[in-house]
Formats: sequence, structure tokens, C-alpha cells
Amino acid sequence: MIELIATAESINQARLLIDADVDTLYIGEATFGLRLPANFSPEEIKEICHIAHAEHKNVCVAMNAIIHNDRIKLIPRYLDFLQEAGVDYVTIGDPGVIHLLNKYEVPIPYVYDPHTLVTSAKQVNFWAKRGAKGAVLARELTYEELISISQHADVPVEVLVYGATCIHHSKRPLVTNYFSYTNEKSKNQEHLFISEPKKPKTHYSIYEDLNGTHIFDTNDINLLPHLEKLVNAGISKWKLDGIYTRGQAFVEVVKQFVQAKQALLDKDWSEELKEKLNEKVQEHHPSERTLGEGFFLKNPNDVQ
Amino acid sequence: MKKWKQKPEVLAPAGTLEKLKTAIHYGADAVYIGGNAYGLRSRAGNFTYEEMQEGVTFAKEHGAHVYVAANMVAHEGDLQGAGDFFRTIRDIGVHAVIVSDPALIEICLMEAPGLPIHLSTQSSATNYETLNFWKEEGLERVVLAREVSMDEIKEIRNHTDVEIEAFIHGAMCISYSGRCTLSNHMSARDANRGGCSQSCRWKYDLFEMDHNGMRQSFAVNETDEPFSMSAVDMSMIHHIPDFIENGVDSLKIEGRMKSIHYVSTVANVYSEAVNAYCKDLANFTFQQSWEDELWKVAQRELSTGFYYGTPKEQQQLFGKRRKIPVYKFIGQVLDYNDSSQIATVQQRNSFAIGDEVEFYGPGFTHVYQKITQMWNEEGKPIERAAHPMMKVRIQMEAPVKPLDMMRKAR
Repeated sequence: MIELIATAESINQARLLIDADVDTLYIGEATFGLRLPANFSPEEIKEICHIAHAEHKNVCVAMNAIIHNDRIKLIPRYLDFLQEAGVDYVTIGDPGVIHLLNKYEVPIPYVYDPHTLVTSAKQVNFWAKRGAKGAVLARELTYEELISISQHADVPVEVLVYGATCIHHSKRPLVTNYFSYTNEKSKNQEHLFISEPKKPKTHYSIYEDLNGTHIFDTNDINLLPHLEKLVNAGISKWKLDGIYTRGQAFVEVVKQFVQAKQALLDKDWSEELKEKLNEKVQEHHPSERTLGEGFFLKNPNDVQ
Repeated sequence: MKKWKQKPEVLAPAGTLEKLKTAIHYGADAVYIGGNAYGLRSRAGNFTYEEMQEGVTFAKEHGAHVYVAANMVAHEGDLQGAGDFFRTIRDIGVHAVIVSDPALIEICLMEAPGLPIHLSTQSSATNYETLNFWKEEGLERVVLAREVSMDEIKEIRNHTDVEIEAFIHGAMCISYSGRCTLSNHMSARDANRGGCSQSCRWKYDLFEMDHNGMRQSFAVNETDEPFSMSAVDMSMIHHIPDFIENGVDSLKIEGRMKSIHYVSTVANVYSEAVNAYCKDLANFTFQQSWEDELWKVAQRELSTGFYYGTPKEQQQLFGKRRKIPVYKFIGQVLDYNDSSQIATVQQRNSFAIGDEVEFYGPGFTHVYQKITQMWNEEGKPIERAAHPMMKVRIQMEAPVKPLDMMRKAR
């Protein structure tokens, strides 16, 4: 069983993604979740649950923010609402939220997602013992490590198979601070990038929201050419993140992964199909952004 | 009338055995060190078990505590031997281990019962339910995220009784600690396993890019300031009463990589301030000399981080750096002869007749004087103490003590 999880940016896109046959829609709002393509109101979340459940699909709501006191107070009521809306599961990154979930015995399953921090099976199992039904792995893991974690983890683990990958989260408004220093006017922050010194071709996306500043790797992830390896490693939760691939383009990308998943399950996977689907992914990927496989093909000893 | 409930400990960094002894001698109630494994400072001096044993024995003799930082985020394979490590340091008598990775926490709880665990700031604990979670897991203390404000500390204290540790001085991550892998991606060095290359402090180009890949940089001219994410350092010397009134149990100083000059100065200042407040809070007044003293070892501008609001651009290193009056550590007193008023000093940096120098010791004692006469070990008068680690005798105008430090302005 492979679960394809895709972010949604609107109710309309959510419908299209369901039509495209994703298994789970990943949505939420910035008060509780991190780096989402859109903020959905409770009413919209309810509606998306309704749409998804009619097609026997799942809805996962992001609650993976780093929570300060002001927001921890909002958590019990939000959990009540999510339960009432029939949300299938949530992601959590802050142990305080897990504490409340367990304290109030809220029957919503959760997947542990603390961004950079899950890097071993032993850690996945720590959270599994505390109720987690899965864990989102750090993006800085190699295939060799993924195999070992998947083998030894007691619950399914999730990897990003497509989309932008966050490599820095600050609570500070770093872009605003820079513009305040340089006296620039406030800019449209949707297309901001930074490049490394002496590497002018690099383009790390950067933006601010109420959780602070987020920076993404210069390449977006595309593991389509390596999905067979994920199947072999028994990694069953595959996420596609559309924060920087918007609208219909994202739906088209998702369709390629849906087709790949089906072919892999049906043992219909071939080099030709892989190449064809991969070309389609590249075609629909935003032209100014580049794709790569991140740490997937690295040797674990390359980064120490 | 205001009343403090509990006097907090001053917790200083100690990269080496010498720094450990120095920190305690200069008033630190506790020190944190690194072992040979599982720490986040692979390039800091780390302790062998023998050194740890000597450090713990020394600390116990002086009523101080030793904590061991094992705060890496472990990958597959890294965890082997962790149980032995925790058992060994527990049996050495280490007072607590500082951990962030839940895998290591579990190993420590299962395999080294009796060794108290402190949650590292790497775990970014920012609310009281998180502290309650870790308390129920059996942790004794939580080091708060640097993003927590003073008002939030107050509220956290009111909602949990687990021990709270907060940073009061030193360098800061610009990110939530643990949530930055710039170093992994840009330098192939794992930030969460001790390899951080401090990529945040580099100079970047910030630009807009449209769908055709057309770029428009914000810094175009050479004189334009490039984008950077370099945080100034923290100093909370003006706000020590706030921490004490809000029930913070431990006041942490950053810097296991820093020198004995830094460690002695900073531990001295903060223990002096805490003692002054707890001794007589009704008559407590801030002493400008405390801040002046901290500037002598400062490497960057100083700020209050997130404690009183979200840091603005002034809390980042933009533009030309203001010249910070840096002092040079030039020697350590080995002995002092009362009758001849001559100090024997081990040279750490060169100095000469005519230099205005400063001696300082525990309890915030200071002696300022000009060097008028000095002799080498053979008793021959010398103009200049030029050789590293040479022993020099100096004619003093006021008494000093062994282990007092000697410095001068650059």
C-alpha cells in the first residue's frame, strides 16, 4: 500500500487532485501548520473533508508548527473542531500538542513531523510508542539511511517525492529586517530568492509568514526516477508539496506520480514509462526552478 | 515587597578541563562540557572519561555541578554504544546529561537510570505543554528555545514545575535551533551533528526572479549591503532580576569554544550580579562596571534576543561593524608574594614595561596599574615578556591572587 499525499491550495484544486486520484490531501493554516500553499478556514477544511470522503480519500491537517504559549491555548479547541470535521489525521511537530492530544484522548491519529529532526528508526519508534501512526523523515537523509530506517521503524515513514524542501526556519522576519536596514520598500515576497556567495546560479527561495522566515533548497525534489527504490525500501508515504508549483501545473505533476504508483503496484514499471513520466514532471515544473534528488543518492559519509 | 524564591545557578561552558576549573573558580555554579561522542561541538575541546572524572571531582570539591552535552540528532548507526556512554558518565558522577534526540533520551532513561536528563535548546521548547510532556517522560529540566520571551517564561513557570534553563549570554543561532540545515546543503556538514559551518553568517544576494528566470537583485552597487542572517550576540546582564523573579532555575552562558579569558570574565560578571541581587534585592542596583566588563570579551554587538520582542535589523550584523574595545588576555597569576609585592605570572600574550594592564579575579576584584618593573625566571630585569608561557615576575601596586587573570586593551 502506497499513500500519495499532496498539498492543496484551493477547494477547486483539491477537487482536481482527488480526480487525479491522490490518496490524501494535505491542508491547514499557518497558525498551526508550517509552509502551506494556502490557509484554509475551518469551513473550508470541513468542505474539503466532505469532498474527499465522498471519494474515499483522506484529509491530513498540518499541526506541525513550533507552538508558543499563545497558540498552545488554541490547540484543544482546534482539535475538537478537526474531530468534528472528520479529519483523518494530523501532523504534529511540537511535543506539547502531543501532550494535549493524549491528555484529552482526542481520537485523531497523528504523524510526527518536526522538519529536520527525524533521522533514525529509534526516534520514529519513540514517537510510535507515544501514539504516532507515522513519521515524516528529515530531508537530509540518504537512500542507504532510508532503507535502514524503514526496515527498523514500527510505523510507516514519509518522504518528500516532489516539491520544495525547507532548509532553514527562523522566527525572525529576516527579509523585513534586511529591507528595513536598506530602506527598500516592502516587496512582493512570492518570488524572492537568495544565492550563495560565489555561486550565482543558486536560487534558494525565501519567504516570511507569521511563523517567521523559511528558506528552501536551491533544487526542488523530484524522486520520480527513484520511486522503485522507495518501493523496494518499503517506504509507503509519499508527499508532493505544491508550495512553489501552483494551480494546474501541480495537478499535472501529481498525475505523473499517480500513474507511476499504479504502474509500480501493477508491476508495469518500465524504463520507458519512467522516462516519459519524468519528462512530463519536468515539463510542468516551474521553468525558473530546478529539480534534483536532494540527499537521496549521497553517501551517508558525504555529510558529517 | 519583591522576593526571589530560589537563587538560580550560573551555568558556564567548559571546552576543556582548564576552562572547567576556571569557570568554577570564577563563580560558576555549574559547567557543561562535551564528551567524545554525541555532542554538537565536534570541533570544541571534548573530554575523555579520565578528564571528566577529574572535572567532576574538582567540581564536587567546590560544590559545583557538571553537565555533559550529548545533544546531537543521531542518524542510523550513531546510536551504537550510547547506553555504555550514559552509564559511564553516570558512574563518573556527572550531574546531568543535556540531550535533544528522543532516541538518545530513551536510551538514557532505559540504560542509565539515575542520570538526570536536561532537554537541549536544540529541541526548541517554546510552550508549557511541551515542558509538561518532557516532565512526564522523566526529564528533570528543559532548556528553553532562545525564541521564548520573558512574558512567555513567566507563563511557562506558572504552568509547569519542571526546572527551566534559559540562555543569558553568548552567540545565537538565527534560526530555531535544530531547524536549520543550511550547513548540510551548502557545506556538506551536518549542523545537527556538530558540523555547522555557520552559513547563516555568509553574505548572500537577495533577488526577485520571474517565471522566465529573469533576476533582479536588491543589492546592485558594490556599496549596497548584501543580504545576511548573522545574529548579534546576547547579553542579559541588565535583566538578571527578571529571570530570578520569573523562577528560572539555571542561567546559561554559551560558548564551549571560547577562551578561559571569556569564560572567567563572563562567569565572574553574572555570578556577581546574581549574588548581588539575591543578597539584598531591596537595595540592588545595576552596576555599569558589569556591562563594561562583558564588552572586554565581546566579539559582536550585544542584544536581548527575543526576551523583549521580536529582534529587528539592529539585532543582525549589517553594515560596518562598530569597533568593539577588545581586550587581549596576556597572563595568569601563578603566585603572589605579600612582602615583596611581586606577582609571578605565566605569559599568554606579549606585554612590556609601560603597558597599562588590568588584573581581575573571582568576586569581581580588579587591579589596574602600569607595568614598571619585571624580571624573568632567572631574576634578570626584562623590558618585554615575549615568550609564550614564560614565567615573569611583576612589581605590583596592589595584591593579587593565584589564578587571577591579566589583560590589556588592544
